Amino acid sequence: MQNNGYLRIKEIAAMTLLLVGIKLSDSTPALLAQKAQNGFWLIPLLSFICIFPGFLIMLYLLKKYQDKNLIELMEAITGKWIGKGIGIVIFLFALLTITFDSRNYIEQIGLLYFPKSPTIVLFFIFIGIVFFGAKKGIEVIGETSWLFLTVIKISASLVILLSLGEVVMQRVFPIFGSGITNILTEGVKKASLFAELFFLLIAYKVTKASSMFSKGIVIASFITLFEITLFYFVYITVFDYNSIAKIAFPFHDLTQFINLGNFFTNIETLFMVFWLFAAFLKFIIFIYLATWIFGEIFAIRNFEPLLLPFSFLVIMIGQLPFNSIINELILREMLLTIMSPFFIILPYVLWGIAWGKGELK
Amino acid sequence: MIRVIVLLIFSILLSGCYDRIELEQQSYVIAIGIDKTEQEGVYSFTYQIANPEIGSAAVQSGPDEPPTEIVTVNGSDILSSTYTANSFVSKKITLDHTKIIVISEELARSEDFIRVIQSASRTPQIRRSVQMLVSKEKAIDFINNNEPIMEKRPHKYYQFMLNRAVQTGIIPKSTLHRFFQITEGDADLFLAIYATTEQSDQKKNTEGFEDKYIAGEIPQIGGSPTQFMGSAVFKEGQMIDILDGEETRVAQMLDKTLEMEDYLATIPDPKMPEYRISYNYYQKKEPIININYYKNKPTEIDVNISFQVEVIAIPSLIMYSQSKKDQQTLQEALTQRLEEKTNALIEKTQNSYKSDAFYWSLYIRKHFKDIKEYEDADWHKNIYPNAKINVTYELEKMEFGKMINDSNLEDVRD
Repeated sequence: MQNNGYLRIKEIAAMTLLLVGIKLSDSTPALLAQKAQNGFWLIPLLSFICIFPGFLIMLYLLKKYQDKNLIELMEAITGKWIGKGIGIVIFLFALLTITFDSRNYIEQIGLLYFPKSPTIVLFFIFIGIVFFGAKKGIEVIGETSWLFLTVIKISASLVILLSLGEVVMQRVFPIFGSGITNILTEGVKKASLFAELFFLLIAYKVTKASSMFSKGIVIASFITLFEITLFYFVYITVFDYNSIAKIAFPFHDLTQFINLGNFFTNIETLFMVFWLFAAFLKFIIFIYLATWIFGEIFAIRNFEPLLLPFSFLVIMIGQLPFNSIINELILREMLLTIMSPFFIILPYVLWGIAWGKGELK
Repeated sequence: MIRVIVLLIFSILLSGCYDRIELEQQSYVIAIGIDKTEQEGVYSFTYQIANPEIGSAAVQSGPDEPPTEIVTVNGSDILSSTYTANSFVSKKITLDHTKIIVISEELARSEDFIRVIQSASRTPQIRRSVQMLVSKEKAIDFINNNEPIMEKRPHKYYQFMLNRAVQTGIIPKSTLHRFFQITEGDADLFLAIYATTEQSDQKKNTEGFEDKYIAGEIPQIGGSPTQFMGSAVFKEGQMIDILDGEETRVAQMLDKTLEMEDYLATIPDPKMPEYRISYNYYQKKEPIININYYKNKPTEIDVNISFQVEVIAIPSLIMYSQSKKDQQTLQEALTQRLEEKTNALIEKTQNSYKSDAFYWSLYIRKHFKDIKEYEDADWHKNIYPNAKINVTYELEKMEFGKMINDSNLEDVRD
């Protein structure tokens, strides 16, 4: 493992922003809008409120039990075997999230830009590149994320800027969408929108000082929340509640819709390049973290050779869903709903046990 | 070993070329026309394909090459019939650069229209910014008769033609995006561009109005035969009526989501009604729309529009610019006339269309907590047709151009 503890706040923040923030450009809006209608832009806010206190507790526990990462922490608190058991559950969640998400991204690339290429070819190339990227180790990944973050965010801001002309503010009303109880329950059920934050905790020890990690990830979480909410707000005000639930890839529909003056029409490819960068980086980070979690559970110090079999596994499982709509609206929705209570409760349970054992003094 | 690695690297790199297609292997469609056929579920699609060699400085084109190729095939949706058309078009037909979709009035008025236009939103090739146009004749005739004279390149022709006409307000901006928002929102009327190439029943310009026409009625000598004027009214995805240019302008003045820059119009001179004063109308501020929603009694809608006017011609030679009292008279005449026109249109939408053409349902939404409540209150069946609507115009500024006075007729003729 190439880890000399070089990473700092900015790299951690960049990785968090890419890993969590790219949700604004996939099918998640359509998934949320199915039930919440035009109130869906409030869901990330509610989810964040549900999951963030627990996440802070995790950071607090990690600080208390110095020199431990996520898996080691759980083993220390709950005992070796239970800790490993919970670890496996987290690993499975991570792997499934990668699989469903990658299928979704492949469908987007295929449908919009490479209509003739077979999905399997796109999948192999995509995951192949992700594999080679991940192989470079966490420090290179962190540096790369930081380098590309600026251009990716500039292109995203340009999308927002150009679509402002199409925004009709009144479309957010009626403010609670399909009803306030509906929004609240959906907010809790989809709390796992931010589950990636927990997966990142495996990298707790990569920074020079662990306070850098905590600072980076907390700052980035708030920026991500702002970004996601802003984009969802733009989607709802541009597309309105009846259409947003029907549009599978609102980000791409938006980039196809906007023009840069009369001369530069059809400019979506400009944004696609940076979006693709972001997508690659997201999966590079994600697959590295998942493999790392696996390596920790089974005490495999040198886990990087495992990246290859896991990449292959992602391709194979990713092929299974019959089409992207089943993949997104049924399988991914189910996964999010199962993950939410798990990640909301887990920190409190760990904290309770640690407190009961009197280890927090 | 090295050979194997090189082979592997190339096979990975080259798989990026799966979707490679050369520019010259594609035909770019600029306009799509859709017509009904006798058989249900089968439509006739007309594709106007641009000739990229025309209008380009780089390539010398043959003198006989036409700027466009127009083909018509029957099929069930926009995309699949491009493949049928490939039986006699030599290249792959690409819809990425489509500028307009022409729909014949006959199809627009039929119930099936929504079925055929839906497929346009499913394919990623057709963008949401494509404009929708309703033609009086069959779409195939419209596209074939349309012969631009100065601007031969079809994509530029449609772009410039529509942009300018939208700026002057005689036709609305009617993108597919807006069509789907309004139709799926199920609360307002959608206005589509109305156009024709047939000048059958020209109106005599007896009243001296510049915009009280619909396409085909404008007396015209010379120029391209295509007239863009007025708008087709769609209710719930089906065309129900036509608004003339003047009504279309009023509708756009009342709608915050549509942009209209300025237009020239005339009113009878309040002091000498046989002459008409021309003025330039500007609307620099958005209209203020206030809705007071009551559950049990009619809703009140207050609309306040502030506008500016630049007087261009006063053929009566009365010196309006010098006398405050005369200006007051002119001002009153202007606002009164605008209010009359607006009230007439609103009455028409309330009584005969039973829905609004101004996208006003947006402003009542904030009175509801959730969508169920909003949909149950039913804007266009219940609230709008019974609403009390009060429109006031306010003249902010009146300018008189670069002349202070016109020539004094008595001095000239003495």
